[in-house]
This record gives sequence, C-alpha cells and structure tokens, in this order.
Amino acid sequence: MDTSQPEADASGAPPLAPLAITTREGPPTTATEVVFELRDLGVYYGRTLAVDGVSMKVYKNVITAMIGPSGCGKSTVVRTLNRMNDSVPGFRVTGEALYHDNDIYGPGVDPVEVRRRIGMVFQRPNPFPKSIYDNVAWAPRILGMKSGLDERVEKALRGAALWDEVKDRLKGSALGLSGGQQQRLCIARSIAIEPDVLLLDEPCSALDPIATASVEELMQDLKRTYTLVIVTHNMQQAARVAERTAFFSLDVSNGRRAGVLIEYDDTEKLFTRPNDKRTEDYVTGRFG
Amino acid sequence: MSTANENTADGTPVEAGDLRPHFHQELAALEVQALGGLDLVLEQLDRTLEALAHQDVSLARMVIADDDRIDGRYLEIHQGILSLLARQTPVAGDLRLVASLLHLIMHVERMGDQCVNIAKLIPLSGHEPPVRRDVLELLGTMGSLTRAEVAHCKVAFQERDLPAAIDLIRQDGEINTLNREIFKAALAAGEDPDTREWATYMVLVARAIERIADNAVDIGEQVAFVVTGLFQEFSDTYRPAIRTGMQA
Repeated sequence: MDTSQPEADASGAPPLAPLAITTREGPPTTATEVVFELRDLGVYYGRTLAVDGVSMKVYKNVITAMIGPSGCGKSTVVRTLNRMNDSVPGFRVTGEALYHDNDIYGPGVDPVEVRRRIGMVFQRPNPFPKSIYDNVAWAPRILGMKSGLDERVEKALRGAALWDEVKDRLKGSALGLSGGQQQRLCIARSIAIEPDVLLLDEPCSALDPIATASVEELMQDLKRTYTLVIVTHNMQQAARVAERTAFFSLDVSNGRRAGVLIEYDDTEKLFTRPNDKRTEDYVTGRFG
Repeated sequence: MSTANENTADGTPVEAGDLRPHFHQELAALEVQALGGLDLVLEQLDRTLEALAHQDVSLARMVIADDDRIDGRYLEIHQGILSLLARQTPVAGDLRLVASLLHLIMHVERMGDQCVNIAKLIPLSGHEPPVRRDVLELLGTMGSLTRAEVAHCKVAFQERDLPAAIDLIRQDGEINTLNREIFKAALAAGEDPDTREWATYMVLVARAIERIADNAVDIGEQVAFVVTGLFQEFSDTYRPAIRTGMQA
C-alpha cells in the first residue's frame, strides 16, 4: 500500500492527498505462455452473425472458463478452437484464431491434426459401444500409435483418475460404467493421444454432484499437463475450477443478435469485483 | 423470473429483471437488521452519555444490562450471513455486501461493549465523586460528536455514499483532538487524590468514546469496500490533508 506523504507546496500547506483508492489486489495470473489468441474473431452461420469481435488470449496450463446465458456464443467460440464447426453448413470465421501463433483456419491446415492436438469432451458422455480398453485405445490405433498400447491406455486411465475403478474390467463394456465414470472415460480417450489442449463443453451438466466433483478434481490434476477450456452454464463451477473466466453475452443492439465477449479476467476478480455492469448483473442474477 | 409489477410480502416492488428476488430481499432485510444494530448503539450511547453527565449509577447499570440486545443482534446477523453464504452463494456486489455486513455487525458489537466499559467506570468513584466540570464538558462534546459520527456512518452505508464515508476521517480527527485535551485536563486536575482518581477514570471513558468513533470510521471503510470493491484503509495518511480543507 502506498503511504507516502505528498510534498508541501510553496505556501507551506501540504497539497491535497490524492483520493486514489489504495488497492490490495491479488497477484496477477502468472501464466504468460499464450496457447490461443483470438483477434476480433467473428463467426457466421450462413448470413447470421453468431459471434462478433471476440479478442482474448488463453494461457498454457490454465483452466479458462467461458460463461454466459444460452445463445451467447460461448460454445460456438470453443468449438471454433478445434474446428468442430467445420461441418456446420454456412460456417465461416472472420478475424483470426491463432493456436501457438498458427492460424487454425489458415490454408493447408489439416482439421484432423488440429483436433489431435486440441481434444474435446462433450456435454453427454459418449463412449463407443466397445470395451473400456478399446475406447481409450481407439484414437492411438487410428493414429498409428500402436507400440506400448497397454501402457498408453493405463496412463490415460490413470490421468483421468479412472484406473483404479476399471483396471479389473478393461474388457468390460464402457456402457456399463456410471455417468461420471463414462465422462472420465471420455477424458481418458481424449488424453490417450497426448493432446496439448482439452476443450470441455458443459462436461458436467449431465452428471450428479459426486461425479461432477470427481471431474472437477480431475481438471485440477490435468491442468499441470494440459491447457483446459471449459464452457459451463454453472457459474459456481467456473468459480470453483477456473483461474480465468470469460463472460459472454448476447448483444441485441442495432437489430442484431450476436454473441460478444463482455469481460475476461481472473476468476476471483470477475466474481468479487467485475468491471462491467452486465457481468455484475449476470453473476448476481439480475440479468433479466 | 419476476415481473416489474410483482411485490414482496411487505409490499415493496421487486426489481425488474431480478432472477433471484428472494435472495435479494433476504439480503436487503439482513442489511436493514444489521444497520438497526447501529440504532441500538445510538440508544446505548445516549444513555451512557447521560449517565456520565449526571454520574447516574442506576442508568449505567441499565446500559450494562441492555448490552445483551446488541449481542443478540450480533448473533442474529452472524447466523443470517452464514445461512446466506451456505444457501445462496452470493457473488460480486452481493458478496461484498455480505462480507461488509459481517464486519459492520462486529463493529456494532464492539461499540456496544465500549458503552458497557464506560458504564462500568461510572460507579467506581462513588455516588458523589469530585467532578471537574471542564472534564465533563469536554466529554459531553466528545460524546455528541461521536454520536453524530455513528449516525453518519449508518447513513453513509445505507446510501453507499463514499464521500460521506470519507468525511468520517475528518470527524474522527476532532474526536481524537478532544481525547488528548481530556488527558491534559485530567493531568491538571489538582493534587486531591479523590479528584485525581476520578479524573483518571474519565481518561479511560474518553478512550472508550474515542474507540467507538474509530469503529464508525471502520464502518466507513466497509462503505468504500462495498462501493469500489477495493479495501481502503482510511489511514492516518489522509488525515492531515483532510484537516486542511480537502473535500471528499
């Protein structure tokens, strides 16, 4: 805290002390390595502008949450990060979406290679109707990572905090697992090919509180190795797991309806002292 | 979701677009109840100052007995805040208000205790102590300024009035000056042992009054926190500048 005294002026009277409010802010986010950089990103579905003017950086080994009301474009943005929207008719982007300084939508970029590096976990657990082992081994086999497959499967299952629960029934059907286990299996399946980033789109919305807690705990372990981006409707989940939170909202000015990024900051700041009144209104439930 | 025309049980309109009207009503009611604690302090302070002016031992005993009401209010607010935190997970401005109410009610409880401390000092010199009018007058002035400061901090909180909160520093400066004057007056109270004893007790009384005023400043700091989101210690650094006429 700055407690320095102002110097006296010519008249001998001390000048007015600045009324600047002293701050006790927490340390800034220490992560500095940028994984994603979005520059004025816009997303169109046909002639409809779904997301407009999003500029933000996602940092390495940090959990970044995206929150906002339905239709605000947060899922669109996260799916844009690994080209999951490519198959949507009329989808196109404007601006730039950079991954380690490489344009994700640049000419010659192979979407499969993008998705190999940037894995994704969806809202509903979607294991293949195969054994637990085959679910995890599926992507490595496809990509030709066939040596040491057993070790790779075990490592992925351990990484997803599922190994101890399934090690005795690896040949059993993945569909026999509980919802929480299935979701962790999907995470194991994603990390089996050692991606760089995990995108999680509402990963807990179909799970009960205990399964949710296990996935949230897992995220804390995973961020040591991976960079995580989570889209969630659950603000408290964002507050619990993410260091950085982006608040998106729907801009309905000038007759349009486009998702925009309102505020992006350290999670603690966003939930204690948001800068923007729209953020304050949303997180406190005054969004009408 | 609420509509603009909806009313709460007590007839106050629900804020349009408020998705959590029950929580926000509960929080608002808790604030009213906590600020009501300052009214209890004002009542106690009035009786304490009257007991002091007339060296009224019976009135002092009532002050001591009535402190239970303030302690009870403290427990109610404390429980209410725990309940809100557990059930409603307040965030942002709501969270800051909840946190500040916890501080506010703690200061209320301490102000109540200071009234008790003063009340306990009144009978120590006996029923007809050798009072010095100059000391009592200084204490009376200090008491009324402190009363005004407590009332002021309540309004500043209610209105989320940051300049009013910062003005508490100026008011507190006057009270601190009086506190030092009382100390000097007590030193000059003469050689008579009974008078010296009484005057020494009055120094302790002045100190307790001064602490009540400090608690009012602390509540002002909470106003700054609720309004700005930043904790601002109204430290001594600001006081000299404010004495030279700085307006908040």
